[in-house]
Amino acid sequence: MLPVLVGLLIVSLLLAVFLGSENLAFFELTESQATILFDIRLPRVLLGACVGASLAVAGAGLQSLLRNPLAEPYLLGVSNGAALGTMLAFVFFSQFEFARPIFAFAGAGAATFAVYQMAKSRAGMNVERLVLSGVIVTTFLSSIIVLLTSLLDAAKLRSFTFWLLGDLSQGTKNGFYLTFVLVIIGTVILSSQARALNLMMIGERDAFDFGVEVKKVRLIVFAVASILVGSSVAASGSVGYVGLIVPHLIRLLVGSDNRLVIPFSAISGAIFVVLADTVARTAIAPRELPVGAITALIGAPMFIYLLRRS
Amino acid sequence: MFYNQKLAIKNTHGYQLSAISYQLFRIVFPAKNNLRKIHFVILLFICFFSLTACKSANQTAQTEVKMRDIADDLGRKIKIPEKVERVVSLAPNLTENIFAIGAGDRLVGVTTFCNYPEDAQKIQKVGDTMNPNMETIIALKPQIVFVSTASQIETFTKTLEANNITVFVTNPKDLNGVLTNLRQLGEIFGTPERTTILLNELFERIAAVDEQVRDQPKTKTFVQISKEPLFTIGKESFLTEIVERAGGISVTKDVATAYPKISKETALAFNPDVLILSESPDNTEPNDVFKNSSAVKNKKVFKVNADILSRPSPRIVDALEQIAEDLHPQTNDN
Amino acid sequence: MLEVQNISINYGVCAVVQDVSLSLEAGKIIALLGANGAGKTTLLKSLNGGLPVAKGVILLDGKELKAFSRREIAQKIAVIAQETETKFPVSVLEFVLSGRFAHGAAFGWETPDDLRIAVECLNSCDLANYESRQMNQLSGGERQRVVLARALATQAAILLLDEPTANLDLAHQALMFRLVKERCERENAAAVLITHDLNLASEFADEILLMKNGAIAAKGAPEKVLTEENLIEVFKVRVLLDENPHSGKRRVTTIY
Repeated sequence: MLPVLVGLLIVSLLLAVFLGSENLAFFELTESQATILFDIRLPRVLLGACVGASLAVAGAGLQSLLRNPLAEPYLLGVSNGAALGTMLAFVFFSQFEFARPIFAFAGAGAATFAVYQMAKSRAGMNVERLVLSGVIVTTFLSSIIVLLTSLLDAAKLRSFTFWLLGDLSQGTKNGFYLTFVLVIIGTVILSSQARALNLMMIGERDAFDFGVEVKKVRLIVFAVASILVGSSVAASGSVGYVGLIVPHLIRLLVGSDNRLVIPFSAISGAIFVVLADTVARTAIAPRELPVGAITALIGAPMFIYLLRRS
Repeated sequence: MFYNQKLAIKNTHGYQLSAISYQLFRIVFPAKNNLRKIHFVILLFICFFSLTACKSANQTAQTEVKMRDIADDLGRKIKIPEKVERVVSLAPNLTENIFAIGAGDRLVGVTTFCNYPEDAQKIQKVGDTMNPNMETIIALKPQIVFVSTASQIETFTKTLEANNITVFVTNPKDLNGVLTNLRQLGEIFGTPERTTILLNELFERIAAVDEQVRDQPKTKTFVQISKEPLFTIGKESFLTEIVERAGGISVTKDVATAYPKISKETALAFNPDVLILSESPDNTEPNDVFKNSSAVKNKKVFKVNADILSRPSPRIVDALEQIAEDLHPQTNDN
Repeated sequence: MLEVQNISINYGVCAVVQDVSLSLEAGKIIALLGANGAGKTTLLKSLNGGLPVAKGVILLDGKELKAFSRREIAQKIAVIAQETETKFPVSVLEFVLSGRFAHGAAFGWETPDDLRIAVECLNSCDLANYESRQMNQLSGGERQRVVLARALATQAAILLLDEPTANLDLAHQALMFRLVKERCERENAAAVLITHDLNLASEFADEILLMKNGAIAAKGAPEKVLTEENLIEVFKVRVLLDENPHSGKRRVTTIY
């Protein structure tokens, strides 16, 4: 399975690098073609891979933690928190490049914390309460975003509204380095908690009884998911459905063992977003579509299909 | 009271009435605490009734007003009064056009976007182009509302026409459109002399630009509407025509839609000789993909006020002149 | 092995368990009996640290329970809780192997030993060849036995069982108790179990704790606790008491 996925990732990366709005003569690149390839196309493809991997890993982790295969960064308000954070960075600290990811983490973390606090009751945390809290926080944050977009300078926010749909064209090399480092660390940390997550997936009570430090694992997963979602939202806006569809498909293929699901989701998430972005870049070239529209277009029907099958 | 009523009739749109009557009232009844308040309420009631009476008087007056037929840009046959006194504009370029033909003083309502000319900023705001406030518009009792977009035009028109307000749809999209629109507005507002002077001036300026760039090579120009994400002008934008007229060639002239988001790869490959930035807070410098382009290398990056670039109004000729000058500066040296 | 000294447990301001003591020694089975809401499950949950104790102490192998990490406790105490269900496709083998969590590295794979133990436990629970079946495709009774197999796979010396026979047919109820009993007798393990089946308790338990309103109403050997007086007091039903002709243990028949 692993070699197949790695092979697919390499193929899709190659495909993505070969395809673009400009046809490049790969064996005799002119100076400007070299710039196109190495400064524009390659960083974007690699950033897409990191964003896909981040979202898929965060999704897989949150789903196991919350014992709900439908749990997703978007459903839980994590993404909206990150989006609001990024928006504030956009408006107030647009001159600092790293304000965006930092505010995005902060927003994602704050949203996660708020959802978690709301969902927690004396008798522990049940999943229904959590999902409901997620919906409340999500809609609350969305309305703040809408409010801010109506109040603030329209010109300043024009790029932001486009970015909300998920857009990889604004990625920078620094953004790629950051998401790359974070996705590697995040995947390793979550994989290290995979056995504990296998128990959490069955039930928090079970996990506790069989030796899992439930609170510690929960904190680790929430923190890592916030960081992963935050960094990918800061880099590319809201690319939807990746965190939902990818782990789901992987579970259909290899079962629910998180030691497989988490790393495999990372690779498959990367494949998914790289391919989706290739479509976004080439479908109506030289114009571009937001990659979030493509992932939703593929993701939503697939999700309904999966839901009906299970 | 008699005096009051007379005043109300004189003030046909008596919405300052209550304030005026309150002043009057204070003169007639000097401060006597509660009693005064009660009296004031009664007086307000009376004013209200006199106002309604006044309104019906107005309506009968309106039906008596001589009407004329005119067609708007949607081809709708509409009736407008012979003498147009009060209008609302729901687009910044239409506001500019109405001011340009000398009828700015008849604007009683404009959008929050209407910032030019300066006098437009003093006029009552009725929301923005996409979300005008119906109640405010109706309360202003305009005769005509000028709109440029046709979104939800039917409900919009119905509501306003139910209140005896005519909706005039006009959306000039290019240089000719602006000129036609100005002529049409001149007819509507009855300012033909001023309009003719304006049009002649514009024709002359356009002709001067044509002359200026006639023998010049066409310069490869990229118009950057937004830096991140990278938006530009496409086939359907009037700016494509403006750039051509100014002696350039828009490298994105074949890209579909008016304002497409363009692939950075393609933008880089265009390697434009001149970059025109639509100057706004998020668009003050060229996108990074242009850092090796001949435009940046040769310092051929120019900024044009975004309002001028985005509004088909007389100022579009300013943009035309400015771009022509940017593209072919040598002609200005002599 | 497990010493419980005068513990009380509160939910908010309500005392759910009051002043309960018990002593679990190797080889012993203690049955918790009582009406619904008597605090049996609460007490059981507190025995592995799952609920904080307001008063009193719990000693595990002579040391206070709080001093152990979750992993250490899980190595010594295994739990069979009421029905667990998961929305994820988990195989029976994966489920049973999760019981080996406390023994392996948190990061890594199960050893061949883990695998062997898991398969043995499945076999002993009458679940041979169930390894690759999915948990959510099993019947309630089968699932209950997988849960038992997982608890056995921990090789913990103390078993805490909360109504382990709720979903089981007669044959498997007997199997469940036999497995617990064998484990206690042969491997010096011990068990605390909650059940509503007075006769099973009487047959298999060495000691019965009869609970009422969070406190102990009676405590001791089955024939000492299962008296008409106690049962009327706790369950408010009339009973007929006699002797099981096969085992000679106390037998309870409810009079409806």
